[in-house]
Amino acid sequence: MSENGHDHPHEEPQHERSPWAARIRAIEELLEERGVFTKEEVEAQVEYMEARTYENGARIVARAWVDPAFKERLLSDTKAAAAELGVDASGTIEFATIENTDEVHNVIVCTLCSCYPRAILGRPPDWYKSFAYRSRVVVEPREVLREFGLVVPENKRVAVHDSSADLRYLVLPQRPEGTEGMGEEELAALVTRDSLIGTDVPHSTREASRV
Amino acid sequence: MIRPVAGARFAPGDAVRVRDMDKEGHVRTPDYTKGKPGRIAEILGGFPNPERLAYGGDGLPERPLYKVGFRQADLWHGYGGSPADVLFIDLYEHWLEPREHGGEEKRT
Amino acid sequence: MEKVHDMGGRREKFGPIDRSDHQVEDWERLADAVNIVLNAKGHKTTDEMRRAIESLDEYREMGYYERWAAAAELLVVEKGLLTREEIDERAAELERRWRGA
Repeated sequence: MSENGHDHPHEEPQHERSPWAARIRAIEELLEERGVFTKEEVEAQVEYMEARTYENGARIVARAWVDPAFKERLLSDTKAAAAELGVDASGTIEFATIENTDEVHNVIVCTLCSCYPRAILGRPPDWYKSFAYRSRVVVEPREVLREFGLVVPENKRVAVHDSSADLRYLVLPQRPEGTEGMGEEELAALVTRDSLIGTDVPHSTREASRV
Repeated sequence: MIRPVAGARFAPGDAVRVRDMDKEGHVRTPDYTKGKPGRIAEILGGFPNPERLAYGGDGLPERPLYKVGFRQADLWHGYGGSPADVLFIDLYEHWLEPREHGGEEKRT
Repeated sequence: MEKVHDMGGRREKFGPIDRSDHQVEDWERLADAVNIVLNAKGHKTTDEMRRAIESLDEYREMGYYERWAAAAELLVVEKGLLTREEIDERAAELERRWRGA
């Protein structure tokens, strides 16, 4: 299925393609022929996921930074707070937001698979799903964070959260110093995808971020 | 608490130990937690049991799910980070047993 | 009983984390979407999907979306929605078409 949803078999990429590409396409076609679902339903789902990016999380964080009451609502009911900003995370999956403070730096993982707050943030980064991240961040989080360019001082504890059940976690990073007087949109631009997972922290300028 | 729960055995602050069980099939308790001492951080609520959902069951009755905290030093022999470092994971009640207060962690 | 997907703290050295993001291919978006739509229609659950992924013999050798595609196949066959033979046949036909044969 190419970008516009139509069949263009001649335009399939020339590189080595996984044998699973044809198999999942076969499954899709056959299930559509059997009336299990429609092409429109599949395309709607593709669009749903494409529409979700980490920028939803950035907006949520920026709002929490400027509005203490919103922050409290975010910490007590993430799903409802996201909905306030037009992010539909309804469904049976639950969400929770973990706040970074002067005492603790939080980082999220799913060691057993790749659980991630997709309904808010979209697809996880490839590294989040990697065996290397899943295996190492629980046992040597500080080394992993250093690899990402983040050094957590010794006097701050690192808390790893393994999302092993039906909760998906977002990190609420600390607002960087030197951002007083910035508006929400400017603040949201400082929030990187990785800072919502905990492998990065926002900086007072975008240029100061590694991303 | 994110979902209502009927009859949770443990309360926040309780000292627990993860059961050291080998269990066939789909489980959501990773090996690295088994037999380790932790503390209940939060009661998350009642959720259907994934071990049965994975095979087409309805997962009922719901099981209480807890956010359990561990000192990293208790999870890993020779943990190289700060002694204050912690790990949290969401575990189902049937994987937890009470630990005597002060029942210290075996440092294997 | 070591389970292949239970990755936390594995002593095997998985080495430095590759932080690059690959361009998501259309078939990967499709694997994602088909998975979710089948869930939404009640034909399978996330838990069954995880169980199916965990059962894959080639878990370690497969890419992320390959595992999703393989698990979706396993479940639609298990639930009698499709047979492996008809998937084989249609997949072969698609491969032929794509090669412009």
